[in-house]
Amino acid sequence: MPYVKAQKSKSYFKRYQVKFKRRREGKTDYRARTRLINQDKNKYNTPKYRLVARFSNKDIIAQVVHASIAGDIVLAAAYAHELPHYGLEVGLTNYAAAYCVGLLLARRVLKQLEMDDEYEGNVEATGEDFTVEPAESRRPFRALLDVGLVRTTTGNRVFGVLKGALDGGVDIPHSEKRFAGFDKDSKQLDPEVHRKYIFGGHVAAYMRTLMEDEPEKYQSHFGEYIKRGIEPENMEGMYKKVHAAIRADPTCKKSEKEPPKEHKRYNLKKLSYEERKAKLIDRLKALNSADAVENDSDEDDD
Amino acid sequence: MPAGHGLRSRTRDLFARPFRKKGYIPLSTYLRTYKIGDYVDIKVNGAVHKGMPHKFYHGRTGRVWNVTKRAIGVEVNKQVGNRIIRKRIHVRVEHVQPSRCTEEFKLRKVKNDQLKAEAKAKGEVISTKRQPEGPKPGFMVEGATLETVTPIPYDVVNDLKGGY
Repeated sequence: MPYVKAQKSKSYFKRYQVKFKRRREGKTDYRARTRLINQDKNKYNTPKYRLVARFSNKDIIAQVVHASIAGDIVLAAAYAHELPHYGLEVGLTNYAAAYCVGLLLARRVLKQLEMDDEYEGNVEATGEDFTVEPAESRRPFRALLDVGLVRTTTGNRVFGVLKGALDGGVDIPHSEKRFAGFDKDSKQLDPEVHRKYIFGGHVAAYMRTLMEDEPEKYQSHFGEYIKRGIEPENMEGMYKKVHAAIRADPTCKKSEKEPPKEHKRYNLKKLSYEERKAKLIDRLKALNSADAVENDSDEDDD
Repeated sequence: MPAGHGLRSRTRDLFARPFRKKGYIPLSTYLRTYKIGDYVDIKVNGAVHKGMPHKFYHGRTGRVWNVTKRAIGVEVNKQVGNRIIRKRIHVRVEHVQPSRCTEEFKLRKVKNDQLKAEAKAKGEVISTKRQPEGPKPGFMVEGATLETVTPIPYDVVNDLKGGY
């Protein structure tokens, strides 16, 4: 058709109902969020904590958050870009790094709440399913996993974060169905395979195959690993050291940053309500004084 | 066919969601907490089908007498015949809003306590009772000129000219 009538008329825009802002941005799944946040009314103000695991292209963000009407409050957070402090510099978004981030977050939260001595969690990372047992004095810290918009397939990295937090000592209701190494047919988790993933075994295996078959690709792909002298054999040892370092000192290290430079302002600053009112009063005064000079002769006519 | 008097009869507009507010309900409704003794307004949210009160209670205000996992027990007055019964219903939190009927009273209580404490410190006696608005104070009328208006004698010719 040569001439196509305009699809979106004025009435279309008048009747259009926008979705919630975060849904328009495609960042929040409200269906999941309502179910995660809703707290039993007879528990009044008890906060319901969620373990939020989000992945960007180069970073992992794990937070323990609880919701409030003013906005969500973050209890503790852990990022993959903090892992260099603990000795892990490359592969910051793989399954093993996700495990480290989950572990770091769990230890940080427990330390903040002074529960870290009671709830050691699973110090030796086997791939087995581990749930925290309640200790004598306090019940374990409970959080619910919030995956966001990720498709929850078996072996997804969000479950790496989950496993890290579980082994760190946080109580999270879960099932082993989605851990890496779960066999669909036999419906069982193979802890050996899961352990391999936790220690980067899958990355090491790929490194080995590339070294044999395509050395150039190995050089380009794993350049950073080679620069730091990380061989497939010592991956497991490296991750074990990182786990130990995390358990030793999970506190957050604040980096020194200079205050940001003042930039020149290119557009006009928006005035506040008081400023605008003051401006109006000034304008009226100016008008009145200018008019008073002209209209003194005309005032009695009306 | 007869009209029918079912539970949700005649609620086509009452339970309808307002213009451009359909779909997911904002999460603050789920985050509010209610204590026993609070006053709440009942406003049915047609998007949530569970725990809806009967249409009679839409717009009523009552006190909370029970709090369960997802619902609130509200005590509402209902006139039945020649008496008013205190009815106890359970309503899901989506159909309930905190009432502002006692807000002014609570604020006044706080302010009065403060005023009384100040007066006690100074040693004066004050009354914190609310007084109704009295008559306006008297004032002098300024700048009034007197204009005497008298009727003019009736002139038949002039008046009829415009009329017919």
